[in-house]
Order: sequence, then C-alpha cells, then structure tokens
Amino acid sequence: MRNRATGATKKRSSHAQAGTASAGPTAPVAMVVWFSFGYKPGVFGTHANDVLSFDRYVEAISPTFFATFQNTLWVGIIGTVLCFAIGAPVAYWMAFKVKPQRRGILIALVLVPFWTNFLVRTIGWQVILAPEGWLSTVLQGIGVLDGPLELLYTRAAVIIGVVYNYLPLMVLPLFVAFDRVGPALREASKDLGAGKIVTFFRVTLPLSQPGIIAGVLLVFIPLMGDYITATVLGGAKGNMVGQLVAGQFQTAQNWALGSAMAVLLMLLIMVAIGVSAVIIWLVALPFRSRNRLVLGPAPETAKTDAAPAAILEATT
Amino acid sequence: MIQPRTPLRILAPEGAAPLIARELSRRRFLSLAALAGGATVLAACTPGGSGAPAPQATGGALEDSLSVYTWAEYDAPEVVEAFSAELGPKVTLDSYGSNEELIAKLVAAKGTSGYDIVVPTGVFIPQMIEQGLLQKLNKDLLPNIANMDPAFLGRAWDPSNDYSICKAWGTTGYVYDKTVITRELTTWADYFDAAQNEASGKTAMSDDPAGVVGSYFWANDVDWNTDDPDELEAARAFLVEKIAPHVAAFDSSAGANTIPQGTHALLMAWNGDARLGIQESSDPDRWQWVLPGPQTELWMDNWAIATGAAHPEAAHAFINFAMAPENQMLNLEWVGYNVGGKDMQGAAEEAEVERLDMIFFTPEQLDSMHEQVLNDSLSTRVEIYNEVKAAAGA
Amino acid sequence: MTTQTETETLLQAEARAARPGAAPRRRPRRSWSDVAFGVWGLLVMLFLFLPIIVIVVYSFNTGRLLAVWDGFGFDAFASILVKPAIQNAVRVSLITALIAAIIATVLGTLAGIAMARHPGKWVWWFLGLLLLVSVTPEIVDAVALLPFMVFLGQDLGLSMFNDGIVRLSVGSSLFATAVVSYIVRARLVGQDAQLEEASADLYATPFTTFRRITLALAMPAVLAGFLLAFTLSLDNTIVAAFVQVSGTTPWPVYVLSALRTGLRPEIAAVSTIMLLLTLVALALVALVLKRAGDSATQIARTMTGG
Repeated sequence: MRNRATGATKKRSSHAQAGTASAGPTAPVAMVVWFSFGYKPGVFGTHANDVLSFDRYVEAISPTFFATFQNTLWVGIIGTVLCFAIGAPVAYWMAFKVKPQRRGILIALVLVPFWTNFLVRTIGWQVILAPEGWLSTVLQGIGVLDGPLELLYTRAAVIIGVVYNYLPLMVLPLFVAFDRVGPALREASKDLGAGKIVTFFRVTLPLSQPGIIAGVLLVFIPLMGDYITATVLGGAKGNMVGQLVAGQFQTAQNWALGSAMAVLLMLLIMVAIGVSAVIIWLVALPFRSRNRLVLGPAPETAKTDAAPAAILEATT
Repeated sequence: MIQPRTPLRILAPEGAAPLIARELSRRRFLSLAALAGGATVLAACTPGGSGAPAPQATGGALEDSLSVYTWAEYDAPEVVEAFSAELGPKVTLDSYGSNEELIAKLVAAKGTSGYDIVVPTGVFIPQMIEQGLLQKLNKDLLPNIANMDPAFLGRAWDPSNDYSICKAWGTTGYVYDKTVITRELTTWADYFDAAQNEASGKTAMSDDPAGVVGSYFWANDVDWNTDDPDELEAARAFLVEKIAPHVAAFDSSAGANTIPQGTHALLMAWNGDARLGIQESSDPDRWQWVLPGPQTELWMDNWAIATGAAHPEAAHAFINFAMAPENQMLNLEWVGYNVGGKDMQGAAEEAEVERLDMIFFTPEQLDSMHEQVLNDSLSTRVEIYNEVKAAAGA
Repeated sequence: MTTQTETETLLQAEARAARPGAAPRRRPRRSWSDVAFGVWGLLVMLFLFLPIIVIVVYSFNTGRLLAVWDGFGFDAFASILVKPAIQNAVRVSLITALIAAIIATVLGTLAGIAMARHPGKWVWWFLGLLLLVSVTPEIVDAVALLPFMVFLGQDLGLSMFNDGIVRLSVGSSLFATAVVSYIVRARLVGQDAQLEEASADLYATPFTTFRRITLALAMPAVLAGFLLAFTLSLDNTIVAAFVQVSGTTPWPVYVLSALRTGLRPEIAAVSTIMLLLTLVALALVALVLKRAGDSATQIARTMTGG
C-alpha cells in the first residue's frame, strides 16, 4: 500500500519533472519548426513569419544537401563504429581489470585532455601531423614512409579528428554500463564453465546493452549535427550538413531556410537511427532466440523499464 | 485596518501638510514604500537602466569604465594600458567570433547589450545603420581624425564617416610555395591555373562565400558584387566543376596557420595573415606573396559606437586616443595590418617593420581593390559556396 | 550503504581468514587477456594525451605563433599577467562550467531516475526530444536562447538573466543535462526495484530510500555524468558566444576570436596552467579520500562502482 501510494505520487512528480525539464530543450526545436515556415524579408532581415509556406523545404531539398548528407552519414557511421571499437575495450578494462580504487582517477584521466580548449587540441594534432613536422621526419627516417606524412586533409584525418574528440562520450557511458553488470554474475558464469568469450557475449553484453545504446547514440547524434570537428583535420573532405545549416544562420542570415534545413536534418537522422535499430535488431535475433530460456511462468516482479529488446528475461 | 496607536510623524512644508494628511494613510505609505523599495532593488540589479535614453557624448567628464567588443588580440596592450593610465577609464575587452554574431547580439539586446565600442567590418555597416544599431559619432571629440589618410575615410558604406572610422584594413591575395610552383604567378587566373595543375590537392581557399565566389569575378575583371544571374551561373560552373576537386581545405586563416608547417602549396590569404606566416616560417624565401590582378578586395574593420552605449564619453576618448600617431604605430606593429594613418610608411621603415610591401600599397594597387556590398545575390553566393564545398568533399 | 554481492562478502571473509600467515586460496592470475587490455588502455590514454603533451611543450615557445617553435622561454607565461582579458576569460569559463555541470547533474539525475523507475510512453518522447536537441547544430540553440534570455531578463524583469555567468551556465547545461540523464537512465534501467522496495518495507521514507538506495546505485553514472557535463560546458563555444554579456567572454570564444590574428603561445601557456590546476585538484581529491580513512574509501568505491 505504501508502495502504491509512493509509486503514484512519484509518477505524478516525475511527469511534472519531465514537463519542466522539457520546457528548456523544447524552445530551440519549437523555434526552428516555426521559423521554417517563414521567409527571409529583404537583404538585411533574418526571418519573418507573416506568410507561412512550405517553400523553404522545397529550397532545402537540393542535390547539394543530399550529397553533403551522404558524406555526413559516412563520417557519422564510421566515426561511431570506430569510437566503439576503440572505446569499448578501454571501458571494459576500466570496469573489470582495474582495481576499484584506481577507477575514479582513470575516469577523470580520460577526460583531462578534453579540458584543454578544442581549437588548442586541434593545433596540437596539426603540429603532430604536419608534413614537415617531427613525426613525419621520424617515420621517414625509419623508412615507414617514403615521402612526407600526407595525413592532413584526407578522409583518414577526418576520422582521426572525430574519433579523438568523441571518445570520452563513448567510453564513459560504456564504463557505466559494464560496471553495472558487476562481478557476481560474471563469476557465476565462469563457475558454471563458460569461457571468457561466452561470458562476454551471453552475460556482460546483454546486461550492459542500455549503456551501449546510450554511448552509441551520444556519439552518433551530436556527430551528425557537428561540422567543425570533421573539418579541423580533414579540411574539405570533412564537409558536413551542419555547416549548411550554420551557414544559413550566420553568413546568409536566412534563418527561415536554415530552420528548414535543420528540421530536414533532424528527420533524416531519425530515419537513419530507425533503420540502424531495425538492422541491429535483426542481427541480434538469432542470439536472442538462443538465449531465451524461461523456467515456468514469469514471476510478478516490480515494474521496471522494458528495454527495447527484452533480453533481461534471458540469462540463466 | 486598525487605527494606528502611535501617530506617524512627517516633516513637511506647512502648505503641504493638509495634502499629506489627506493623501497618506499609514497603510498606503507602507505599500508605497514597499513599491519604491522594490523598484529600487530591481533597478539596482538591472544594469544600464532599461528604458532610460542613452547619454549622448558632449565632451563632458570621462566615465570610469569602457566596454569594447572586438576581435581578440586586435589591440596593442600598450595602447590600452596607456589609455587607462593617462585618461582614467578601465577598459574591458570582449571578443566575438564573427560579424553576424555581433549583429545578432546587438539586435537581440535592443540597446542594452552593455557594449560601448564595437568593431564591425565595413560591409556590415549599412545594415547596422539601417537597423539602428550604431549611434552617430561626435566628430568634435575626435580631433585626431586629421591623422587619418583620406584614402581610407569616406568609404562606400559610410561616406561621411558619421558612424564609423577605419581601425585597420586589409586585402586578399595568395601565397605559393616556390619549390612546388616554379613559374611566376601574378594574377587570379594564374591562381586558378596553378590550383588545377601543380598545386592540385594542395590548395586552400578562404572559408567564406565572399572570397570563394569573389575570386572568380576578380579573375575575370567583373564587378564582384554583381547580381546578374548569368554571371553567377558562370561562376558556379567554373568553381564547382573546375576548381573544387583540387581544393584540400577551406581556411580563412591559412596564412599564419599553415605557411610555417608547409601544409599547402597554394593558399588564398589576407595580406597581414600571410605576412605573419611568412615571417614566422623557417624558410621565408620559399614563399611568395602575390597581390593579384586585375582586381581584388578591400575590407576594413571600423571603430563604431553602439546605440545605447553607457559610456559614450570614454568611447570617443578611446577612439581618439587610438588615432594618435604613436598609438597608430603601436597598433600597426601589433596587428600587422595597415591602420589607415597618414604618412606612416616612413615611420614604419624607421621602426624597422618587416615586409612593408605587404602592409603599404601603391595608389595603383589601391585602385584595383574593391569593397564588398551586401545585396540580394547573397543567397545565391552561399548556395554556390555550399556546392563548391560539397564538390571538394566528394 | 554499499551494495556488495554475496560472492564479494564471501571473498572478503576468506581474505580476512587467510591473512595471518596462510597462503591465499585464490592467487591473482594475470592472463594474457588482462595484459592485452592493460596495454590497449595505456595506448589509448597515450593517444588521448599526445596533443596535450605537444601543447605543454609549445607553451614554452618564445615565438610569435603558437605552432612555430622559436626558442625555449617563459615569455608566454609572463605575458598572461599583462592581459586581463585572458585571465577573465579563463575565470569565467571555469566558474560557468562548474555551475553548468552542477545544474546538469542535478536535473539530469532526476530525469534519468524518473525515466528508469517510472517508465511509460512519455520516456520515449522525452528521450526523443533530448536527442533532437543534441542533433541541431549549436548555432540553432544559440539563436533561440539569446532572444529567450533577453526576453526573460529585459521584458520580464528577471534581472538574474542579465548576468553573464547565469546566462552562460544555463546555455551550456542544455546538452549536458541530456547526456547526464541518458547515462543515469542507462545505469538504472533493467535493475529490479527490489532494493528500493526492501528499503520501503523497512520503514524508510521515500526520501531516505532515494538518498541511500537509488542515488547510491546510480552514483557511478552521476559522477561520470558530472565530469562529462563539466567537460562539455568548458568547451561550449557557439552558444556561449551568443549569450555572453560584457565582461564575460568565455575562454573558447576568446581562442576562436584570436584565430583571426594568429594564435600566440599565451594560449598554450593558459592551457598548460589549466591542465596543472585540474591535475592538482584531482590529486588533492584522491589524497583527501585516502587520508579520510576507510569510510571515505568505501564512498569512493561506491562512487566508482566497486
């Protein structure tokens, strides 16, 4: 009875929380949607909404937009996948292989490089990758390269810049996710004879799934809207759709068109996430159906969040 | 309300006594006092006093502080310190990253931005005047205007200098690596030619529609502010199909950033930026700066005072102070651009400023420099620029 | 209250029993995979710190341009002392990032816990909204926030919003709140609410349950979220540039603006000083926790999920 009472009040208060918390973020999105139906009044005006139309959307849908979006998608997907490939082992190491006292320091250490200003970090990389810099000279000296280091302003440099700047956003949620699994279940799995790999795929991974999704989304989504990170090392090859939007808001002073492009970008990203979610769901289907093992009727547990793929009911 | 037991004592002139007795009851007094107190508190918290008309500069006493909104590191520290030491006001320098940001902030603030002096680039001044963001300068307080070279006063955006005065001006040209491009380049057509040949994949253009689209018109000796659709279409075709695939990067500060590292073989750059890059390079003779013909641009950053400035006297004093000859020289050395002063070339030679040919130009060269005008072609130019970037990134 | 599993309790008892002289029952095995993970972790740390090392080295550059080495010296550090604009910018950025991180952590934790413990359709809408906010380029948030804050400050008279630090903090905390709430939710989701139920059954008030169970469970996520929010706010450039007022130029805006006239080594010097300060702060925290004894160590372990 107490539970239900507290549960009910909590639900109402959580709705209130959500309401107030979403007031803030709603403002830019609402403004953008509103402006996208307007137009640019004359050379010096930025926006006007007395005449509403879909014309800005027609203008926004151009071959340039889609060509740029294609490049953005390429950078976004490869960047996220590489961030995961590089960051997951680090998070795993921090969560399971490092002594508990040292974990806090490591988390902070992962973030310390990012307390240096972004532009300054970029210059650090430019100095390292300079064709006539020391790294280039050293590599040429050992014979790995037979000419100056030609890494700057290539697609590879785009990815280096992106992975470098988004790694903490992947490592930290992954660490929290792996850590949540806790040593008990993994030990139990090992006690029951499963090897390292099997334990990882059937115990650790499924349990840390919400955190993995969090990490992937926290990298992919801002990355798709970002346009500076890709260009700092990659130059022209790092052309991203966010730059189109920003250009309309800044140089062209045409907020209406910029807003239409921003809305279009948001829709396309939601589609991209939806498609990838479906693909991953399909890929994980065989694993899930193999893991599914229900002993008797499912017990009446307390209401918990039903994660998208309810893998929780599996495992042992 | 109960009758107050102790009467309220008020000291007032005899004639006002009956009025006061009539109008003022204790309750009303308290509520009025509360209102007055609350208003005072709010007014004290709100800076600047919204609603009050901005003070106009009339040559009175200088206020004790001044707020300048400008590019970072754009004023010699010696000049700022000397101003505070000699004339008094404490100067606060704030930085912005782009002119559009400056305009957006002034528009949103509606006269309460808190900034006194702003430093807009010339091309944006007509817009700012029209939107009422700048106030007129009181020329009586600016006698040092006599130290300015007339060639840099009275420009198209403000013919009578009612709102702005030149702070520093520059032009756009390009720099090439003589070891990669062994022939001599002198025009914009040469730039495009080298970009497609020797410097393919190692070329940089500025990160700005004005520079990217403008360079085509400069090369073809056409008015670069044109809004003729055919000319713009020709520019688009040329830039997107012929030039974009060879561009490695779009960087407006390519001079200082990349010349010393040798990252590009050919780069579009401002004169002061290129000068800095070549100076700091370990092998300056490797690089050649070109002021290309037949045309190029002239851009100018100007002193201006924002509408609603809270310290107009100090603002005028600072602008006047910056136009004194010794301060002009200090600023020139600090910034590396021409500050528009009269007869500075001789003094600069004496002060052993390097590479004067990249700061001072002959009258013929000045004739080939044209200012930018914002017109309806802006959206088309941004479109072309986006297309060029997309083609370069493909 | 720490959450220890049964196995851990048993192990501790074993360790205690085994201590006086006897050989430990479980000898720690360093398998090849442990070594491999350690090596990888160190390599990635090196990768992360590489440009920082370069910047620290170049802060001793006596040249005019940051990236062009001219000679060793302390000139850059000396010239910071005569530039109040730089000192101001760093101070503003540090204070703002701290406040924004606190706001984001508080709001984000509450939102995350609400999403994890009281799920429903609204969760997906809320998440979707937060994520949409993150996808829009910063410039959009900036042009939306500025008139909004001017409206709050000028038209509504809430003069708090005319203060630069308040504006910057609120501006930076939007995205950071989304990040924190997402991480906290990921931490708590799927875990049975059994512990909270047990706590309620043992007569704990909802607030005590929240404080000693839910918050403790979510602590690693809250800590990670706080640090991440601080990091994100420190680097917030575009929104900060738009909402700043006179006298509160944040550090990233200053650096971006200085790019136009060629970055000087002072910028690297400032970065080095900030780095030293943060490392010293971290060391102090670690020292304090160690000195404070067992209970503090337990707290630290809880915070990092021991």
